[in-house]
Amino acid sequence: MGRIEFLNVYKRYPNGFEALQDLSLVFEEGSMTFLTGHSGAGKTTCLKLLLCLDNPTHGQILVNGVNVSRLSARRLPHYRQNLGAVFQDHKLLAARSVFDNVALPLRVSHMREREVRRRVSAALNRVGLLERESLLPMQLSTGEQQRVGIARAVVSRPKILLADEPTGNLDPELSEDIMALFQGFNEVGATVIVASHDRALIESLDNPVVELSHGSRVG
Amino acid sequence: MRDSRKQGPWPRISHPWGRWRGHWRVAREVFFFVSTHTGTSLLVWLLVGIALALPASLMLVQTNLSRLAVDWGGGRASVSVYMELGALNTAELAAQLGRRAEVEAVALTSQDEALQEFTAYTGFGDALAGLTRNPLPASLRVTFVADAHADALEAVAALMREADGVADVVVERTWLERINAISRLANALGLVFGVLFGVGAALVTATTVRFAIDSQLDELKVMKLVGASDAQLRRPFLYFGALYGAGGGLVATMLVSLGLIVLEVPLLDLLGSFDQTLVLGGFDAAFVVTLVGLGSALGMAGAVLAVRQRLAGLDVM
Repeated sequence: MGRIEFLNVYKRYPNGFEALQDLSLVFEEGSMTFLTGHSGAGKTTCLKLLLCLDNPTHGQILVNGVNVSRLSARRLPHYRQNLGAVFQDHKLLAARSVFDNVALPLRVSHMREREVRRRVSAALNRVGLLERESLLPMQLSTGEQQRVGIARAVVSRPKILLADEPTGNLDPELSEDIMALFQGFNEVGATVIVASHDRALIESLDNPVVELSHGSRVG
Repeated sequence: MRDSRKQGPWPRISHPWGRWRGHWRVAREVFFFVSTHTGTSLLVWLLVGIALALPASLMLVQTNLSRLAVDWGGGRASVSVYMELGALNTAELAAQLGRRAEVEAVALTSQDEALQEFTAYTGFGDALAGLTRNPLPASLRVTFVADAHADALEAVAALMREADGVADVVVERTWLERINAISRLANALGLVFGVLFGVGAALVTATTVRFAIDSQLDELKVMKLVGASDAQLRRPFLYFGALYGAGGGLVATMLVSLGLIVLEVPLLDLLGSFDQTLVLGGFDAAFVVTLVGLGSALGMAGAVLAVRQRLAGLDVM
């Protein structure tokens, strides 16, 4: 799985705000695309709809041909277990160690503990934090916390990786490191969508860019 | 092939035994949480225990009163019929009553027998000897079968009041009836308090579980993001509820047991004054298991209530 299509998607929130208006997009399997636009343009809403944390008011979101906004409550967890998501605020569990944070998706999917250990170690090694697995998130720098978030997103080897402003709190050098990690995952076949308003970073990379404004595609 | 169609393009990652591993891990985490938050846990156990102890005590009272009623089965309900002086149909009435299904026995005391008993018991024989005629009436003592209904007593009493030669009819309320009435009252009170305090126990657990949910909202949001099912999100809190409820049930058994220890001696003294004795029963393994099971079920009910309210519409991002 990896091909994502937004077909004439509208999203209106209960307060009347139109987050998306007639949005149609295609993210090809194995591509890495930047989703950009001003604050409130609809970037985060796109990712929320892809994670099925909300439903479109109108239109379809197809992932490998399946309309994910109509997934049953029983199938939804399996769908989410096959997605990876990275957030600006990392969404790490403060009271759990780095290892336990990264292991969470695998334990949620009831994986054997031996396999959990193997995969978490591999993911932490990939983001350069293997030596810090027993620390708590608050004992890490912001950049390191983001890398823990990335390790957690990729530990279950998802075919789709979503990132919402993953470099929002980082300096340019760390941002480049993070983007290099995403490119690495994209090179091994993952479809990567990065929502970001960091123009300089986007322009420094040679990836397709989808620009949103007031919920519609403008570029 | 069929499986992959059913699951769509998103296969299950889990191992077949993984679900049980998940239960085991959650159970360990809940035990750890409860044992490390001893203050809160003890308070909840005490509150649930007190709520369960009162209806459980009433249940025990009802059980023992029923046993007491069986032990005192000899004291059946009865009706005494006092005849007019010189009435000639006493034996006929005795025979008529003896044929009724609800009547177990009819004891006839003639005027002469009444006089002899009076003389023997009171020692006033000399005084009565001076009277020209026997002033004591003949009487019938009607004893009813064990399961005779109160209406049957009243029906027989009414029949006798209308019979020729009958001066007075006395329906004797026996201890048995009183005990049965108290037993029925204890049963009804047990039901009422059982429902009220049961709801109370469930609400105490619901409130505690709600606090537990609030303290772990961030974790729940992240779990939902990484693909936890609703059942997985609910599971730890249902375990919380069950554990708090079961602990409350245990506390209730301890409180009831303490109550029995305190009440046993004065109760046996009281019964002794009526030449009766009773071995307190009902507090056995089945009682303890029922109370702990009931506590656990009420705790889970409270947890379900809290989880439904709190996890519905959990805003993740």
